[in-house]
Amino acid sequence: MTTRPGMARLARRSRRGGLPYVLLVVMLLVFVVLPVVAGQQVTSFNYYNLFQVFASLGLLSVALGLTMIAGEFDLSVLGTYAFAGLVAVKLGADDPVVGLLAALVLAALIGALQGALVAWFRLPSAAVSLGVYIALLGLTATISDSKTVPYNNLNVSDVLDRQYLEIFSLRSIIAILAVAAIAVTMTYTRFGRDVRAIGSDRRASLRIGVRVDSILVVLFVLSALLSALGGSMLALSLAAATPDPGFDPLIFALTAVLLGGVSLRGGTGTVLGIAAGILTLSLLRELLTVLATPTYVSSLATGGLLLVVAFAAAPGLNAWWLSMRRPTKRVAEPPSLSRVG
Amino acid sequence: MTAENVTAADPDTTVRAPVPSERRGPSSSAPRMLWGLVVLVAVSALALTTDGFVSVANARAILSSVSFTGILAVGTVVIMLSGNLFSLSIGTSAAVSSMLFLYLLPDVGFVLAVLLTLVAGYATFALQGAIVGRLDGNAIIVTIGAGALQVGAVTWLLPGSVQVPDGVDIGFLTRSVLGLPFPLYVFLAVALLVQCWLHYSATGRQVELVGENKAAARAAGLPTGKLVTVAFAVAGLCTAITGILLAGFNQNANLAVSGTFTFDAIAAAIVGGSSVIGGRGSAARAVLGAVIIATIANMLLLRGFGTGVRVLVEGIVVVLVVVAAQRRKRSIA
Repeated sequence: MTTRPGMARLARRSRRGGLPYVLLVVMLLVFVVLPVVAGQQVTSFNYYNLFQVFASLGLLSVALGLTMIAGEFDLSVLGTYAFAGLVAVKLGADDPVVGLLAALVLAALIGALQGALVAWFRLPSAAVSLGVYIALLGLTATISDSKTVPYNNLNVSDVLDRQYLEIFSLRSIIAILAVAAIAVTMTYTRFGRDVRAIGSDRRASLRIGVRVDSILVVLFVLSALLSALGGSMLALSLAAATPDPGFDPLIFALTAVLLGGVSLRGGTGTVLGIAAGILTLSLLRELLTVLATPTYVSSLATGGLLLVVAFAAAPGLNAWWLSMRRPTKRVAEPPSLSRVG
Repeated sequence: MTAENVTAADPDTTVRAPVPSERRGPSSSAPRMLWGLVVLVAVSALALTTDGFVSVANARAILSSVSFTGILAVGTVVIMLSGNLFSLSIGTSAAVSSMLFLYLLPDVGFVLAVLLTLVAGYATFALQGAIVGRLDGNAIIVTIGAGALQVGAVTWLLPGSVQVPDGVDIGFLTRSVLGLPFPLYVFLAVALLVQCWLHYSATGRQVELVGENKAAARAAGLPTGKLVTVAFAVAGLCTAITGILLAGFNQNANLAVSGTFTFDAIAAAIVGGSSVIGGRGSAARAVLGAVIIATIANMLLLRGFGTGVRVLVEGIVVVLVVVAAQRRKRSIA
């Protein structure tokens, strides 16, 4: 008797774990078939673009997903993303490597500060990171005078974006390696297990001796580094840094992370799942480009998709659905005295 | 079956129960007041040493700029009180309301345009509140997604910029009444109404209870989903009102009107001393926060700093206030 619900739960969990990959395969099929039906051409350049998106917005998504697995919500990655691009372009005027390193170091400091605040003061990370995000936005606006900052060394862009094997570039290879390294760390090391433990039950983790504080600080640093890597490489490759990218990158990242099977309550989700989510969403965006849809359609599509995913990921949806089907058995109904008697 | 229900609801209640009592403890309010006093003294000291700050004209400038942020801050506080952080598209929604109002104005007349804009704001936010409250959706994600949808819909359906139609005069929306700008009266009226609603109506008090301890509110039989929906809807009304006033102020409307309103409103709400995670806050605190933010903005402007520095300072202040408000909760983990 006891094993069967257990098995069912296990099956359900594995099915949920596999969903990001199923979605990716479905989206890939759509991407291959739909343009043909519509009389459009998909070339290897479209696949190259896919990985270019992975190298910018993809890194931002992994950055956001990492803290979410630990049950935190770090809005500041969006600020780090923009700030790092600006730093790379400003300080990398002579040597792009210097710019890149400066961006990474500054981002790591921001991440450490934020992680320390969240961990030591037990602050709600959404509020702290919103403050940090606003501050970074103000900082980029001040440094850039609210104008796009051009980068004059166009060779850097050539080196970063030259096609390898048709569909890769130095930029996307760096991004893929970085994400792979994070994925291996999260899957096979104690650090990764601890992060998931913190995300699923922080009290229990503390009790059994997980060093929650230091893990959170390291995690916020890693997250800041990833988003800074994405932002700075993007700015160098575009040869321009935008002071305020708006919420679009964050919308992409949130959708990708949720598509990737990360739960907002923390504890679930894998980096590989997030990667699948990123590719699925990039395919959708590329599809919209190939089919030449007007911009408002993609705005509606991305906003709508985020709401749909947030809807599907909402913990209450299951309970609500159950209460709809079986109105007599309310899930969270308060115990009433009459029933006890 | 009942026993199962009890165990299902219980862990949350027992885990959360100590938090409010500690937050409400007699020892905790004194340092917070001290902290507030320090901020007030620091801001006033900086303000008084700024050239041209102390003048009637400048006081009027602060009071006129405080209204828009202030009304949005009141809405933000209501969302915070319901325990759902904040809306990250409240500025966008204000701009959308502004455009909608001017778009409707020539066809349906002033009164109906105001009413329809209010209804639209109410409905847009109530929908987001329903997803957040009934389905436990994440407020930040839902509001960002809703913001993108609104931008998409407006870009699709409305012209990029809407002007005040010829022959229609909505100048009274910005005219001075008894020496003070009209939006200021609206702001104070909205703050007073919301304050009374939160304090004296059953619904308002229940909204606060949900934010204080959702599990306990649910266990007590409160309709938590409905209450969160109502809280968002009230914020939607505030947003629509801001949009209408902005239309009068700018004499046209486009999406760029949103500017830094979202951040200004959240910063004002937090700086006023309302808790981001619910349980403590009021419309009066939102007024205080809006005045502080407007004073800081005005001071920076007089000292020759741009918008960027203002936003930077806002962000830093938000972090500081959040740290200061929560620092005694170190023991809870």
